[in-house]
Amino acid sequence: MLRIYQRLWQVNWAEQWQYRANLVMYLLYWLVSPVVYLAVWTAIASQQGSVNGLTANDFVTYYMTLLIVDQLTSEITIFVAGYRIQDGTLSNELIRPIHPILTNILMYNLAFKALTLMALLPVWLVLGLLFRPDFSSVTLVNVLIALPVIGLGFAISFLFGAALTCVAFWTTRAWALHEFYSALVVLFSGQFVPLTLMPPPIQAVAQYLPFQLFKYIPIQIILGRLDAPAILASYLGGLVWLALAVGLFRAVWSAGVKRYSAVGA
Amino acid sequence: MTQDPVILVDQLSKTYQVSEREGGFAAAVRGFFKRQYRDVPAVQQVSFRIAPGEVVGFLGPNGAGKTTTLKMLSGLLHPTAGRAQVLGYTPWQLKPAYLSVMTLVMGQRNRLSWDIPAADSFLLNQAIYRLSDADYQRTLAELDELLDLGPIMRKPVRNLSLGERMKCELAAGLLHRPQVLFLDEPTIGLDITAQARIRAFLQEYNRRTGATILLTSHYMADVTALCERVIIIHQGQLKYDGGLSELSRRIAPFKLIGVALGEAVHMDLSGYGTLVAGEDEADKHFIQVPAADVTAVTARLLADLPIHDITIADPPIEAVIERAFNA
Repeated sequence: MLRIYQRLWQVNWAEQWQYRANLVMYLLYWLVSPVVYLAVWTAIASQQGSVNGLTANDFVTYYMTLLIVDQLTSEITIFVAGYRIQDGTLSNELIRPIHPILTNILMYNLAFKALTLMALLPVWLVLGLLFRPDFSSVTLVNVLIALPVIGLGFAISFLFGAALTCVAFWTTRAWALHEFYSALVVLFSGQFVPLTLMPPPIQAVAQYLPFQLFKYIPIQIILGRLDAPAILASYLGGLVWLALAVGLFRAVWSAGVKRYSAVGA
Repeated sequence: MTQDPVILVDQLSKTYQVSEREGGFAAAVRGFFKRQYRDVPAVQQVSFRIAPGEVVGFLGPNGAGKTTTLKMLSGLLHPTAGRAQVLGYTPWQLKPAYLSVMTLVMGQRNRLSWDIPAADSFLLNQAIYRLSDADYQRTLAELDELLDLGPIMRKPVRNLSLGERMKCELAAGLLHRPQVLFLDEPTIGLDITAQARIRAFLQEYNRRTGATILLTSHYMADVTALCERVIIIHQGQLKYDGGLSELSRRIAPFKLIGVALGEAVHMDLSGYGTLVAGEDEADKHFIQVPAADVTAVTARLLADLPIHDITIADPPIEAVIERAFNA
């Protein structure tokens, strides 16, 4: 099985390397909003001294960590597999003795991540020179503790994204649904602003959703702003959400494939 | 058939539900609230058995249900009714054990990645089908020998010609040495030379591995070269299942007598049989006669006319199959 993943990685990496220009364009597009937030909030915090207790440096370190964490936990499954479901090219993958989503599409996501991270790195360093963040609160231990949460965050986000992609088995509106889902993620994950700046009702709802595992919680752990009980709670919550995501994906996938094969692949 | 069949198809049916509406705005609005569905029977109660090692041609005009049947047998489609077993598996359960021993090659679909050389996709298949290095190298060498893959498998697939790509598609589909091959139009769009190579390859592959092959094709040369047995379906129904040679006898029990007359003789030959248009030889007249009468008619022709050349042949297979569809 390891060999399958290794070869899928090679193929997906080689394929996407061919489209590196597209990748850079995507990255620039994707960078716009966090960099704008970064500039705006830093400016406000510098003028006022702080916003809700967050200093300019808090904002800089938050958004700069977000740039990396967001890359690590986000997924692009619907943009790859959605079309394959609709135009029938998924058929070729369905008759191979491996699960198309949990192998090939997963590796596609990972190869994409690796390439975008490579392109992101110089941009990130330039931003560092411009905003001069003080990362003294970040320790190696913090980063190591955050890694499992990042892993859980990606796993959950990948499975949710895959389950939503499976909606394409029934309807072309899968894309609209995915847009709606992305909006929820932006709102409740801390991508927009640190969650503590959100109105209290949104913060309350966010506690019961998995989305803060995608961004807010790993960022807070890396920046050393979460205590041990809160970290432990996020690990446990992450495992529960992972189990739910696995169940959801399996159910939607098997119903979807049945549907695909009933209406004509 | 004494051996257990490799492919067993029993009363297999597939009906598609197709949504449809009239053109125009009003119809679009009506369609939004209440969809009209129509049942389209693609395959209706088709049954057949195929023994190990057989190469069977699956024929029928466009829309006859050939591809639908192949998709059910490879597991991509759930049937509406009926049963099918291939190597003892129910295909649409998509069991990895089944997917590892069969292949579906579609002439117009690619399982190779477009942007990378076929050789890389082959390596991926080695991993997916869990082939040992030794097995993989041996099979690849054999496929290389039969298909002459050498330089083409190192170029990105998108830079290959259609024929080269088809060779690589076949190789990718056969690396795991499947016991059952479903081939949907494997020679479509290829030139005559490439078609002949693919045909020779399939023949040799079948001889060497004893694989069972079910193939569809619009090129009769594929069928006559490869298949002793043909299954004909039309409008989803089985029309014929049997030997290719018996097909002519049963469906079209007639022969074509070709006569070349000397010195531009213009004679009415319609008294000897039905005159049909000749294909390649302009100076020859073709007379279609019932098979039983061939000897008598030939004798009469030779006695009555100044004949330079005379040939007796089976009617072209296209004509025979055309008649089978309409039977």
